[in-house]
Amino acid sequence: MKSPKEQPVHTRRQFLRTSFLGGALASTVPLFLEKTFLCLDTMAAATTGQITTGKEGTILVVLQLAGGNDGINTLVPFGDDAYYKARPKIALPAKDILRISDYAGFHPKLSAFRSLYGEGCLGMVQGVGYPNPNRSHFRSTEIWQTAVDSGKNASAGWLGRYFDNCCAGADPATVGIAIAGQTPQAFASAEPKGIAFSNPGQYRYMAEAASDPQTADRFMRVMNQPDEGHSSLSENAGGSIGMLDGSPDRSGGTVEFLQRTALEARMSSDRILEITRKSKSTVNYPANQLGNNLNLVARLIAGGLPTRVYYVSQGGFDTHANQLPAHERLLGDLDAAVSSFVADLRAQGNLDRVMMVSFSEFGRRVTENASAGTDHGAAAPLFVLGGGVKPGLYGSYPSLTDLHDGDLRFNTDFRSVYATVLERWLGVPSEMVLGKKYPLLPFV
Amino acid sequence: MQPFERDGVHLHEMFSPLSEKHWDRIKAAHLLNRAGFGGTPDEIGRLVALGPERAVDSLLDAGPDDEFFPPPSMVEPAVRFGFKQREKTAVTEDEKKEIRRQLRDLDRVSMRELRLWWLNRMRYSSSPLREKTTLFWHGHFATSNQKVNDPWMMWVQNETLRLGALGKFPVLLKEMSRDPAMIRWLDLGKSRREHPNENFARELMELFSLGEGHYTEKDIQESARAFTGYRVVPESGAFRFSRKDSDLGEKVFFGETGFLDGDRIIDLITAQPQCARFIGGKLWKFFVSEDPPEEAISGIQRLLYSNGYDICETLRTVFRSEEFYSPKVIHTQIKGPVQWLVQTTRMLGIPLPDAGVIESSMASLGQVLFAPPNVKGWDGGRAWISASSLLYRYNFAAYLLSGKARILGGGGTKVAEIPLGEIAPPGKRGSADALLETLVFRVFNVPLSGKQEGAYLGYLAARPSPYSDSTVLDLIQFMMGTPEYQLN
Repeated sequence: MKSPKEQPVHTRRQFLRTSFLGGALASTVPLFLEKTFLCLDTMAAATTGQITTGKEGTILVVLQLAGGNDGINTLVPFGDDAYYKARPKIALPAKDILRISDYAGFHPKLSAFRSLYGEGCLGMVQGVGYPNPNRSHFRSTEIWQTAVDSGKNASAGWLGRYFDNCCAGADPATVGIAIAGQTPQAFASAEPKGIAFSNPGQYRYMAEAASDPQTADRFMRVMNQPDEGHSSLSENAGGSIGMLDGSPDRSGGTVEFLQRTALEARMSSDRILEITRKSKSTVNYPANQLGNNLNLVARLIAGGLPTRVYYVSQGGFDTHANQLPAHERLLGDLDAAVSSFVADLRAQGNLDRVMMVSFSEFGRRVTENASAGTDHGAAAPLFVLGGGVKPGLYGSYPSLTDLHDGDLRFNTDFRSVYATVLERWLGVPSEMVLGKKYPLLPFV
Repeated sequence: MQPFERDGVHLHEMFSPLSEKHWDRIKAAHLLNRAGFGGTPDEIGRLVALGPERAVDSLLDAGPDDEFFPPPSMVEPAVRFGFKQREKTAVTEDEKKEIRRQLRDLDRVSMRELRLWWLNRMRYSSSPLREKTTLFWHGHFATSNQKVNDPWMMWVQNETLRLGALGKFPVLLKEMSRDPAMIRWLDLGKSRREHPNENFARELMELFSLGEGHYTEKDIQESARAFTGYRVVPESGAFRFSRKDSDLGEKVFFGETGFLDGDRIIDLITAQPQCARFIGGKLWKFFVSEDPPEEAISGIQRLLYSNGYDICETLRTVFRSEEFYSPKVIHTQIKGPVQWLVQTTRMLGIPLPDAGVIESSMASLGQVLFAPPNVKGWDGGRAWISASSLLYRYNFAAYLLSGKARILGGGGTKVAEIPLGEIAPPGKRGSADALLETLVFRVFNVPLSGKQEGAYLGYLAARPSPYSDSTVLDLIQFMMGTPEYQLN
């Protein structure tokens, strides 16, 4: 049997040799570099314990519902007369609600959610928000992405801080993957980690643009290789200590930083392309954007990518007018995509390792507006989903009549959700990421 | 040690002017890269001929170029007001929806046009330093149309920044407090006597002038009262001071007691030496280096403080200084995406790609004009680079050189022909050394390491000479797909 220390080192070396570069090209990676990664692994194993990767460890999928999802018509308080009074045009009839209690139940389009709730892998956290809620999409999204107080500013995202503080020794390119045209602010940090692409076929060097693609590809590889001569990585462990704690010597070599990043890009691109070529889903996904993106995430997970954080989003939730048909379509798409994703993970045998957490920048007002829609609000429910989730309702449904500026009062700070995910699911201390302790929730 | 004196301020020797005899094309290219958006070997040659002093002056004293850049077409305030009125009077929900949709579509087109307009201005301006400094202030005052939601206001702010870019900072700061986009961005328009909104007052000190830790919560509350009543007239988009909403009462701020108004607050802030330190430090980081030595910070602080925050004169001293041309500075700054794009098109002698390509590419590269990520603006430096954004840079270069649309996912249209006859004239195509020397200077502006040079020469050795257009294009593509090309 292998000792716990040996295991990740071995994995990493294999990864480097076989997957990152492919047999023929492995010779172009200088030996010192391989040694450095080896050294990193050993040191990381010694200092932070075994490196957990998405290959065998737990995985988090963050789902952003952009635009401000109407939480009240998602988890519907049909048992409350105040709901029907506040929303004469857009309240959903009690008979159609997929009930989970005498008070609340799911929107009729969320049938898969209702089943998952019954099967014991879905939790609903109610009344999630933060003090001094901001009703601007932009600003409130930023607050959720950076996890700072409403009145404070921060550049780094909460997942960026997680990558910086808690992913020592992991490959910085693949710590997090956002299926998106641009990197979400949640990933932001002084030296960004994680990657973003909307189509994995685009996440590679397009050597075919040159008249001589083979040479172009070889050149790209040679020119983007840390230079043995003056690389901070080349000397000894001293150079890599900086990488380990996530704060490389700032004065030390911008060129080396770029070379390292290029090497990571190249290796992760090779790996991702290989996986997407080989791994196919056995499950049918709905033909919508979220379905496509979750399908891709499932394939990357199945392919054994070391990534522990995935980020996907669904847009269009800003339902100011004529909300009923629009919201019905959105939740229908969501339900179908999530249902396929869960079935896929289950078929893979990975459902117990994956947790999906949703968020939206705010909920919507309790009272409908004159256009049969709803305006920007505050607190709302979010869902946590996965084989490791303890099912049930968390927090309490905020009162529909005791309001703050016309909005639901939050009773669960969203950073409690983050803290729970960090501590109980990803297994890292949350204080380093969130700046202070937040009460944990029992959904894991 | 030779302290250097300028305008009665004693400065560290690093500020002493670079001597004529050390002036060469590498330094001239560096000046153009940092004080503008780079240039072709011809443009660099013109600066070399001027000598260091006149080269710097030529950038700082370039005249206005407004006549060449008429405003882009946008929904002007009166038209927007008309839309809002029509929406109000529309009877059915469908009509209202249709009116909102029309306005939204117009605004989307306007934002595309506005971004392209500014990028073109950077690309072609006869006053590139003014554009570069405008970009600096855009990052400093970091206002996003994601909240402002009015392209016309964003353009007005951009013009205000441009006009004040090289003037005196306190004047610009006052202009910004009355700027319609800023008023909307930081909720100043909602601030009234009974409920002063502290958002603007807080950012004024934290982000625009002093930096965190140099004021108290009480200072924010008092100054917030002084900025009550700042309004924008919806019909015209003009600034208006609403006396009835303003708090004209007595306030205490930074040691002064009186009926202080917003402008007086700004005077009291800029009277703090810390303000000169904060602004000077940001200027140094943007134009010179990420990690300024203390001598540099204290030098630029004293310069700014003594010349009344004259940005033009301060930059003149900086751009002339030996420090600006030191090996620690040249070719060490990571180009931001806007810099990368504009400088690349200038280097290749091609126009910008079309607006659609720019919209999607700049988002992937991480810098969308008029949409900074947050109130702090773009972090810059290493924060520009992730594995995916670096790869995107390499591919974007390949797209610009090859014109193959599918490289960017099929979204691109035909790109302009690269003037290869100019970039690699026939006389340079006979020998590998001559061709490489020509291309390296054009693309990187600095010599390469022996190892890299060897790799390129090895490639050329396997090619027939005189070298064909496709060999030249391949070579440029290889060069742009390197860490070195990301640096200025």
